[in-house]
Amino acid sequence: MSSVKEYKCPNCNAPLEFNPPTQNWKCHYCAGEFTIDQVDTVYNDEASEEDMQELDSYKCSSCGAELIADATTSATFCLYCKSPTIIKTRFSGKFKPKSVIPFRLTKEEAKEIYRKWITKKLFAPKQFKLKEEVDKVTGIYAPFWLFDCKAAGVIIGEGTKVLKWRDGEYRYTQTNYYQVTRRGAAYYKRIPVDASKKLSDHYMLLAEPYYYSDLKDFSMKYMSGFMAERYDVESNNAEFTMKVRVQSYLEERLRSTINGYNSFSVRERNVDVSNIEASYAMLPIYLLINRFKGKDHVFIINGQTGKVVGDTPISHLRQFVFALVAFVVVWIICVFGGALFV
Amino acid sequence: MFKKLSFLMLVFLLIFNFAVFTAYASNPINVVDDMGFLSDSDIQELQGRIDKIKEQFRLDVVIVITNKMNGKSSMDYADDYYDYNGYGIDSQYSGLLMLINMKDREVWISTTGRAIDIFTDGRISDMTGRIASYLSNANYKRACHVFLDDVINYSNKGVPSSQYREERLPDFYQQNPTYLQRVSRLVKSWPVYIIPLIISIVATIIITRSSKGRVTIDNRTYEEPGSFVLTQNTDKFIRETTTASKIQTDSYDGRSGRNSSYNRSSTHRSSSGRTHGGGGRNF
Repeated sequence: MSSVKEYKCPNCNAPLEFNPPTQNWKCHYCAGEFTIDQVDTVYNDEASEEDMQELDSYKCSSCGAELIADATTSATFCLYCKSPTIIKTRFSGKFKPKSVIPFRLTKEEAKEIYRKWITKKLFAPKQFKLKEEVDKVTGIYAPFWLFDCKAAGVIIGEGTKVLKWRDGEYRYTQTNYYQVTRRGAAYYKRIPVDASKKLSDHYMLLAEPYYYSDLKDFSMKYMSGFMAERYDVESNNAEFTMKVRVQSYLEERLRSTINGYNSFSVRERNVDVSNIEASYAMLPIYLLINRFKGKDHVFIINGQTGKVVGDTPISHLRQFVFALVAFVVVWIICVFGGALFV
Repeated sequence: MFKKLSFLMLVFLLIFNFAVFTAYASNPINVVDDMGFLSDSDIQELQGRIDKIKEQFRLDVVIVITNKMNGKSSMDYADDYYDYNGYGIDSQYSGLLMLINMKDREVWISTTGRAIDIFTDGRISDMTGRIASYLSNANYKRACHVFLDDVINYSNKGVPSSQYREERLPDFYQQNPTYLQRVSRLVKSWPVYIIPLIISIVATIIITRSSKGRVTIDNRTYEEPGSFVLTQNTDKFIRETTTASKIQTDSYDGRSGRNSSYNRSSTHRSSSGRTHGGGGRNF
């Protein structure tokens, strides 16, 4: 059994790629398009439940060239023949995802989003606005842990109600202090936590939310035509990140039930997270990393919703020119406009 | 003989002195109308009233109607006309001059000596306001009589109790500089540098920081709908504090607000070196 997987067009044997607008598989050579059932009749083998031995190297099943891939890369393209290639061992056993949200956005749409976004960034250096740069946008299935859990907790704090009135020459201020206690619980479903060290947790959080109505059982065929990473953050490490988030969710939720006070400050809080269940999922992102003066600047589009996050490199020259122009323009307005009124 | 002569000398000197005093005290022509707006009988009538004022209040009063400004502002023209034509009573050259400047359509009242204190900025503003309304209707004779009415009225009232002098340009020139003067004044002022500096720095910071993206999930995004239960919901009263503070009422300050500038007599120096007060307005 081969350790790499390629999906080929049943008609012409050219590579078959997942096509986001139709949610079908498309051959770019003969333009044939196939539904999930049609693909399944040809390719019925799925990622193995058994752990498979990692190999030292993988070869492209189209041209036989060696695949250049990071240790966590699980779906890629052959550097030589550009065939989409899936490394089966990296989707097997404990690395077999339970679910996937397939891409909704095409690469062309993602590029257009990036182009619009970067042109609005006044301070981005010019080289990041060029077409070659835009072409580097890559569709990646990013590994996530989806957590289900229960949170139960309490917040205790001090609330004040202030009354003010006048009597004769005096103004009275009465402050009433209350001890406010809220205890409650809630269930949370599928809280996503970034499971890849390569991707910034912060930006992955900003790229949320994903809508789980698109969530499908995992199948390797969705990976065809995209890059994919496997997780390198274990679920118990991710759990820690998740707990912090859930604790703040429940706290905020309990806080939102407190009203009628002029001020409120939390004195004591305690949230317990239990019934934790993690499942491994692949969620779609479009990624572009701009390297500028030795620093990486990440640009991410949510591959399902199109939400854009990221930061651009900042050109200090552009900043300075902008500040100068702004100064001069406002100065002219102040002097020549102001002279009309003073 | 010598004694008699010296006595005569003394008498002569005294008479001479008195003559000089009365001579500089009065240029007898107090109404000058270059435009021919006033008839001879009008001028005589006005001159008659002015002569009475000079006698009663020891203030010289001059009315000048002209359009030949020789490139001077109303203020400079009025001051110079008064100074160089021998007007003014007593050692302070007390008196006032109303200039009707037909070139710029301005009325200007220049005060000198004791008149500076009597005719404060506020009074002059009231006077020119009344006069300007008649001038706007080309009722020059009535305007002159109104002026004299006010001179008598305010001279009777005397110097207001909280009157004070302040060396500054009259409001007319402070409030009505040309557009270019205002531009050049703004260029020299610091707020027009500070405000743009702050705005440009703030705008640059905002644009620099705006690039990151925002969190669009909240505490409800992943909550299973309907799963939230509140098991304890208590609000326990602990204590209260009450503070009382006396309401500060602003005490009336005689020199604040309208009164301060009303009772101010702005003064400036004319080309002759004398101090004048005054003010004016357009009509």
